[in-house]
Formats: sequence, structure tokens, C-alpha cells
Amino acid sequence: MSARTARPSGLKPTWSSIFETGLGARAYPYLMVLPAVVIVLGVVVYPVLSGIMTAFYDVTLRSLNSGDMDFVGLRNFERVFADPNFVRALQNTVVWVVLNVVAQLGLGLALALLLHRAMPGIGFFRSGILVPWVVPSVVAVLTWRWMYDPSVGIVNELLVKLGVIDAYHPWLGDTATSLYAVTVESIWKGTPFVMLLLLAALQLVPKSILEAASMDGASGWKKLWYVILPQIRVSFAIAAVLTFILTVNNFNAIWLMTEGGPLNSSEILFTLAYKYGFKRFDLGLASAVATMLFVGLVVATTVYLKLIQAREED
Amino acid sequence: MNVRSILKGGAAAAVLALGLGSSPAFADNIVMWVNAALANGPDAPLYEELKAFQAATGHTVEVQAVPPIEMEQKLFVALSGGAGPDVMTLDIAWVAGLADAGLLADITQKAGPIASQYQPGPYSSGLFEQKQYALPLYTNNVALLVNDRMLADAGIQKAPATWQEFHDAAVAMTNKEKQTYGVSLGGNRMGAFQLYSFIWQNGGDIIDAEGKSHVADPASVEAVDFLAKLYTESKAMPDSVLTAGNWDEVHAPFVQERAGMVVTGDWALAAVAKANPDLKFSVHPLPAGKQAATVIGGFDLAIKANTSVPEASFELVKWLSGERSIALMRKYNRLSALKKAATPEAIAALPPNMQPFMQQAAAGRARPVVAAWTQMHTDVFANVWDSVIRGKPAKEAMTEADAAIKNLLEK
Repeated sequence: MSARTARPSGLKPTWSSIFETGLGARAYPYLMVLPAVVIVLGVVVYPVLSGIMTAFYDVTLRSLNSGDMDFVGLRNFERVFADPNFVRALQNTVVWVVLNVVAQLGLGLALALLLHRAMPGIGFFRSGILVPWVVPSVVAVLTWRWMYDPSVGIVNELLVKLGVIDAYHPWLGDTATSLYAVTVESIWKGTPFVMLLLLAALQLVPKSILEAASMDGASGWKKLWYVILPQIRVSFAIAAVLTFILTVNNFNAIWLMTEGGPLNSSEILFTLAYKYGFKRFDLGLASAVATMLFVGLVVATTVYLKLIQAREED
Repeated sequence: MNVRSILKGGAAAAVLALGLGSSPAFADNIVMWVNAALANGPDAPLYEELKAFQAATGHTVEVQAVPPIEMEQKLFVALSGGAGPDVMTLDIAWVAGLADAGLLADITQKAGPIASQYQPGPYSSGLFEQKQYALPLYTNNVALLVNDRMLADAGIQKAPATWQEFHDAAVAMTNKEKQTYGVSLGGNRMGAFQLYSFIWQNGGDIIDAEGKSHVADPASVEAVDFLAKLYTESKAMPDSVLTAGNWDEVHAPFVQERAGMVVTGDWALAAVAKANPDLKFSVHPLPAGKQAATVIGGFDLAIKANTSVPEASFELVKWLSGERSIALMRKYNRLSALKKAATPEAIAALPPNMQPFMQQAAAGRARPVVAAWTQMHTDVFANVWDSVIRGKPAKEAMTEADAAIKNLLEK
């Protein structure tokens, strides 16, 4: 560490010179980051802590207004676990996340491999495939809602024409199909992002390795399994974690298509927390669900950060 | 001091005196949140009305338009945080919840002297636990819109006036090959809202004045069963009943001439006419069961509990809900909640399609004004409707609903 040059004698001290030596110099970097720290504490840390604390209090509109909130320990969590809708939402969340992650990774990888090839007009296809990702989620969801319409929806028309179904079906109105119908929209919307991540990773795979594998007589599948996937494994894992986080947080798709219905058949934890909070105005209950979601997402984010670190070390 | 400076001083004093003379001693600024439909552009009639209010009282009004779908949540969040508007328009179904949370000003004393000018149903929508918290800005109810051509094609001469005629017309207009249906209803909350009128028409009830649930009463169950079977047995409703979650989706089969009737309110008139200008339809009072009844809707005006301008706010509420509301609401194709708006002369002055709504206003019933009503509507009745149209017996669904409502009432 180099010592700062002493101020020439005879010069008048300035404000900036205070930070050039001694305590001022040591405090200088902390002062520089202080505004950012204060903002992060105010808009991230405080709301998160406040939300977690709310989970342990009985907070309703009435108590919020009077300021008379009782500490109830784990009772909000007990009430949540006793609610049959929570159990249903938990099961649905697992199905929703697993289907989304598996399908988006599978399709994203397939598309990335397809679009990695050098062929005329590949730029057009690469851009075109991003359209679902670029379309605002509200527009996409409402478009799909009409596509699923039980009377005039194009999805029914196509499936009938293809002979898959005999008659129009209320995909979003049937408790057996509503969650899967929304999942299709979510997969359609999220896959291009995964594709983009994997395509970028594929472009970093050295051609010499692939050529060597070809010369050794490796088939396409073997090249994929033994050469390509190991090369992009960290990017693949990052894509998986990001898809997990984005899917858990994907409130728009379910809320705008079904509001978690019919009869809670497409309810996930996020929509349930919203209903507790902004339909029942039971903020303690909503915070209990949100706290559970938060813990899950913190774990996922930690894994994501570790993977990023691993990629940098690679 | 020369002549010019004396003249200048005199002119300034005159201007000051005039200014003070034309304004009241305490001119306040009132922040008002309104349903965005009432402030849909700079030329909205509401702004003209507020100019008149400002000229008469000196108070200024700062209008903030809020989309109706976001209004309830924004009001609850803002008011419970101590912020929010001084005056607000709010759906009559939200009054009890906000009043119960202590977020609305008690206007019982101030409203007492003018209570007799309002229709009883809409006025009672602002009453919670014997205290008045809101005055009606406009009222509405649900009636029956009928596609005249489809009705005639089905061989029926006049619009249904009884449940039996309603059932028969719905079945007659249903044609599986042409994919036409008798009546369009909504799913979930929309369907529940349409259901209430039929429960009351059959002599049933939801919660009585003493706060007792009547949801599992045979008359209530029978009404739910009647409507549900129009879909489950007669197949006289399109499948949109399973999914329609907003009025546009409820109206869609009617607009597309795939459903011959729709149970809806006056808000549908402009929407239907705009979506299908060629559609020939007429409006009729809801077909009566054992008695006539229709669910009352509409918006009230209320004042924030801790407003800094309570007097000015009440002046504004009184102004907008008072006599001038008849002309003001006419400009929006809405119905004033004043008794004067329901006289035969006033009804005759309404556009023909609006008249049936006001004609049946006397049979209007307000939804229960209880604190947990929003939850009862969205969690309990919405699920009842979703269950029965998917085949659950009405008795079973309503018995479960009764238990849930009793539980909420106890809380």
C-alpha cells in the first residue's frame, strides 16, 4: 500500500485534503458507499425484515389502523398449515415449478442446439424465437386466455382440426387442466430466455473439441452427452436456478389467467399469499406464506451465486 | 407619494378586497379518488361539476382517477397507512370492510337531515353497525338483456317475466348444432354476483338484519339449484360460465349472438352497443320468482377518517350525491340514487333501455353490509357457484357455505 504524498506546506487545506491522509483516508471509501448502503437498507433489508416480523404478529386492517398488533408467535404458520388451500397450493407449486423448469430447460437446450448451427437466415430465426420473451407478460397472458376460450379459442380449433380432441374444451375452466394450461403459456414465455443463455454457452465451446470427438467417431448424442453438456454444465445449472426463481415468482401468468381457480385448482403459494394479503387483508397470514417462499428463494439464490462463482473459476 | 402610487395602492387594495369577498373564509383543498370511468378524459362531466362546486364554495378539488379493478386494494393500503384521499368513490360492497377497520369518517350526524332524499336501498349501503359512513353517488341493479331476434326465432313472443318463462326461453334458444345458448352468466365472483338476486327472488336470504346466515335455507338452495341446472342439465349456458371472470367475458356470448340473454347491469348497455352495433336487444326487469328482487350495485362517496378537511369534504359529498346528481349521472348513463330520480316522470325521461333498471329499483336489495363481505363473496359464494356448475349438489355446497359464513360472522 503506497503512502499518500504529504500536502506541500504553505498550501491552504481543502475539504478534499481531509480525505487524503489518516482517519479521513480510511473513512473515505465507507463514506462513498454509505448512500448506497442506506438505500439498500431502506428499500430491501427493512421491507424484508418487516415482512418476516409481520409473520409473527396478528396484522389485519383493523389492527394496522389502530397500531395494536399482537405478537402471536407461530400461530400464523399454524393457521396456514391448517388451511386446505395451502396444502393444495403447495402441491400445485411443486408441479408448476418442476414442469416449468424441466420443460424450459429441455426445450431451451433443443432450440439452442438448433440455432447454434451456421445456416443462411439463422439471425432471423434467433430473433424470431425471442418474441415470446420480449412480449409484455400481461399482453401474452391475455392473448393466451383468449386462445384458450372454450367457445371461440384457436387452441380448441387447432386441436379439433388435428383430431386430438372431439369437442371444444374449457381448458382454463376445468379443474383437471387449468394448472397445465397456464403452465403451457409459462413454458412458451420462458423458454427463449433459457435458449439465449444456453446458446451463449454453446458458442464458447471450442470447435476443436467437437472436431476431435467427430474424428473419434462419436455420434451426435454422444457428442451432446460427453462433450457439449459437460462444457456448458455451469451455464445449464445457472439457467435451471434462474428458471426456478422466475417460475416461483411468476405471479402474472396464473393471476391473470385463472386467479388460482377454478376451485383453487391452479393456486400456487404466491397467489395464495396475495389472496391472504389483498383479498382477506390478513397480512400476518400473507407474510407467513411469503416468509416460507422467501426462505426457498434465498436457498436458490445462494446456489445461483455459487454457480456464478464456479463459472468464473472455470 | 405621488398620484400614480396612490392609484396603484388603491387598485391593489380593491383587488384584495374583491378576492377576499368572493371566497369563503376557509377555502380548502380536497383530494378525491374517483372510479376512472367517471374521469375518463379532460371533458368528463365530473370536471364541469367540480368547477361548479369550486365556484360555489371556494374549495378546490384535486381529482385522481383510479381504475376500478385496483381501487379496493389501493384504498385499503393507502388508508391503512394513514395516507389516501380525503374523499373517495367506493363500491358499495367495500363500505363495511373499510368502516370496520376504522378508516372511514362517521357522518351519521351530518347525513341525518338529508337522509330522506335518497332511495332506501342505496342509502343503507353506507350504513354499518348503525352508523352512516357513506352517501350514494349512483346506484344500479341487474336486469335481463334479451336478443330480440333470437327470442323471436325461438318462437317466443315476449321477454320472460317469471322463472318458468326464463327457463323455457333459455332452453328454446339453445341449439347445440348452431352452438347457441339461452343465457350467459359468469364464473366465480361474477356468477356469485348474478346469483344473489335469484336467492332473494325465491324468498331466500344471505344474512338477515340480525346477522344470521340463511344460506342453507331451502329457498336459498333451491335458487342456486335452479340456476346451476340451466348449465349442468339444460346446457342452456355457454362454457364461458366456467371461466368468465369479468363483465366483458360475461357479455361476449351475448354480443356474439351465441347467447340470447344475459343478466347484467346498466354498465353493459354502452359496452354491448359498442361491441356489436347491429345487435337488436331489449332490456327487461329480472324475471320474478316468488317475489321481485334485484341486487343493488353502485358507488358511494365516503370521507377518510382522519381527513384534515372534514367540513369541506362533507360539502363535496353532499354536492355530488345531492340534487345535481340526477343530471350528472344522466351524462354517464348512470342512475342517481335520489328518490326524485325514481319518480314516474324522472323514469320516463330516461333513455328507454335505462328505464327498466329504475322501474325495478324498488325491488333492489343491498348485499349484506358486514365487515367480512368481500371475503364471503370472493371465497365463499364464488366457490359455491364454481362448485355447483361443476356438478356439486347445491344443498351440499350451500351447507358448506353456511358453515363458512357463520365462522366469518363469529370472527
